[in-house]
Amino acid sequence: MNSMNNNVADLVKDVEARFNVLSVDYPKDDQVSFDFDNRDLHSALSYLRSAGWIQLSILSCIDWIDENEFQLVYIIFNWENPIRIQVRTRIDRKEAKFRTITSIYPGAKYYERDVHEFFGVEFEGNPDSNKQLFLENWDDMPPLRKDFDSIAYSDSKYPKREYKTDFSKKAGDK
Amino acid sequence: MSKEIKKVEKPEKIKKGWDGISNYFRANSIWMLMYCTGCCAIELPQAMTSRYDMERLGMGPMATPRQADVILVTGYLSVKTLRRVIYAYEQMSEPKYLVAFGPCAINGGIYYDSHAVIKQLDQYLPIDIYIAGCMPKPEAVMNGFKDLIEMIKSKKATGWRKYRDNNAWYKANQIHALGEVRIKDEFHE
Amino acid sequence: MDINYILTGMLTGFGVLVFAFVWQTSLSGITRKVVGRFHKRYGPKWYQEFRDIFKAMSKRGITHGWVYDFGVMMALGGIMATVMFMPVVTFVAFGQLDNFFIYVYLFAVGMLGMAMSAVGSGNPLAGIGVMRALTQMVGYEVPFMVIVLAIIFRDGTSSLSGIAAIQQTGGILTWNLVKMPIGTIVGFICLLGMLGKKPFETFIAPAEIASGPMVEYGGKQLGMLMIMHQFATFIEISLFINLFLGGATNIVFFIIKYMIIYILASLISQAFGRFKIDQVIKYFYRWPIVLAILQAGLVVWGRIG
Repeated sequence: MNSMNNNVADLVKDVEARFNVLSVDYPKDDQVSFDFDNRDLHSALSYLRSAGWIQLSILSCIDWIDENEFQLVYIIFNWENPIRIQVRTRIDRKEAKFRTITSIYPGAKYYERDVHEFFGVEFEGNPDSNKQLFLENWDDMPPLRKDFDSIAYSDSKYPKREYKTDFSKKAGDK
Repeated sequence: MSKEIKKVEKPEKIKKGWDGISNYFRANSIWMLMYCTGCCAIELPQAMTSRYDMERLGMGPMATPRQADVILVTGYLSVKTLRRVIYAYEQMSEPKYLVAFGPCAINGGIYYDSHAVIKQLDQYLPIDIYIAGCMPKPEAVMNGFKDLIEMIKSKKATGWRKYRDNNAWYKANQIHALGEVRIKDEFHE
Repeated sequence: MDINYILTGMLTGFGVLVFAFVWQTSLSGITRKVVGRFHKRYGPKWYQEFRDIFKAMSKRGITHGWVYDFGVMMALGGIMATVMFMPVVTFVAFGQLDNFFIYVYLFAVGMLGMAMSAVGSGNPLAGIGVMRALTQMVGYEVPFMVIVLAIIFRDGTSSLSGIAAIQQTGGILTWNLVKMPIGTIVGFICLLGMLGKKPFETFIAPAEIASGPMVEYGGKQLGMLMIMHQFATFIEISLFINLFLGGATNIVFFIIKYMIIYILASLISQAFGRFKIDQVIKYFYRWPIVLAILQAGLVVWGRIG
């Protein structure tokens, strides 16, 4: 455990020295999360990749509807120095655009299509960004946004079953 | 005149007798296509292996829809899966049956509020028997299969006839929910 | 060729056909029960295979064109013709015509019919399955042919009933099982390849290529293919019994030998996984061929056995 904490502390010092880190957080013992600005993200990811974090585990997105922002989260992993790093950045919600990272991690091609389909974020430079991957024949707003009413959509397209007796009362109730 | 009436009656009797024999064979040797749609598929290996042996009822797994008799829809059906299940169901040769596991095929189950899960399966495909439980225990699964065998023997399992006769109604429902049933995706071009 | 010969031949042939179908299908069911007990469970009933075949015949299938339908009928017809020539105990349908090479040729008609109809169905997986089946045939035919040619050379006759009669002259000590034990082992391995049992189940491969050539069959064509499979199994095992286990003088002994061989093959197949097709060929071209050539050398030049 001590060596793990030393590794984490060394890593944080290293990254803070090179880049402009907005905030650092430690969700668990072997996890670190860095918040960057939009312009610094690509250089930070390139540096971390060359330092050994070669696997992009997932690219996900959080919808902060009250602050009118999306937060993109890149989780990367190193097989020699097992620390999981979350690299985060915030983008605007109305005009959700970001540059692609497929030049750094080629596998991000599918993750970016995923985020595009479910949140509506456009990744410039990703050639397949408009092809459907998960949702087929989708005709409404991107479904994982917080202002998408899932129950109303579901009731309109897939009708509910009509029951003749009311099963929600227990036996003995009036 | 009397000669013609006699000629019409004989095929009916032979047809009924032949149907009785065929139903005996169809009930005792059911081949299933395990379309493991969702979570309830975890209960199928238990029904197939040594403890609750399914082979003594005559059932066994088959590899393709064309060879199978019954398609087991185990679990919730998302919109993408429903398209493929319809495609597989239409490829099966008649007579064919459909068994639905769990409450997700009845009213959406615990996924009732999702944007991509259908709520009533029998609007889109004819169902012969439901098995209750979330998920049903292997004893319930074996009981359900025995009920299916009884239904086939007593000629009540006629879902495939309903699908053939009311095809327009089923197709209209499918298009309302799915938009389009045959879709090209990029991995199968 | 007088009419009596032809008529008695056809009647005996039909008798052999009916016996082969009833016996082999019952034995399939019994073997499923034995394998089930091996797995510590009850198996299906012993007449389960009959119910499977008749259920398949009662379904309404689809058709992909006349090549598809005709291929299945050609395969079934070819195999049924082959069964009629097989000597069972003392019933030989057509006296001088139970030559070993007739089986080699007529078997090819069955395979060709299945290949034709599989390709006519248009599914690429069927083409892969047929390619694998024919490749596997190249694998097991060569050691088998070496051993059988050695037997034919030593006995001077290639008629199956003749070979069986030579083995029955001295009781159990003149069986080829005792005179050529290495050859019998090679013959048994090639029998596993012919039957399509694990580990040589490559050409059916249920979960890999969705049962290979049978991928597009449903209904009546599947029923006919299952009947063809039962007949083919009967031919292969009877061939093995007549060549290596001394035929049989009595129908009871024939049934006992048949049961032992088939159940042994099934139990062995339950203990193995499935080979890939290149592993199958590499396997057959290593020890089986070496042992076959060794045994043939012993028989032909060494005059041992």
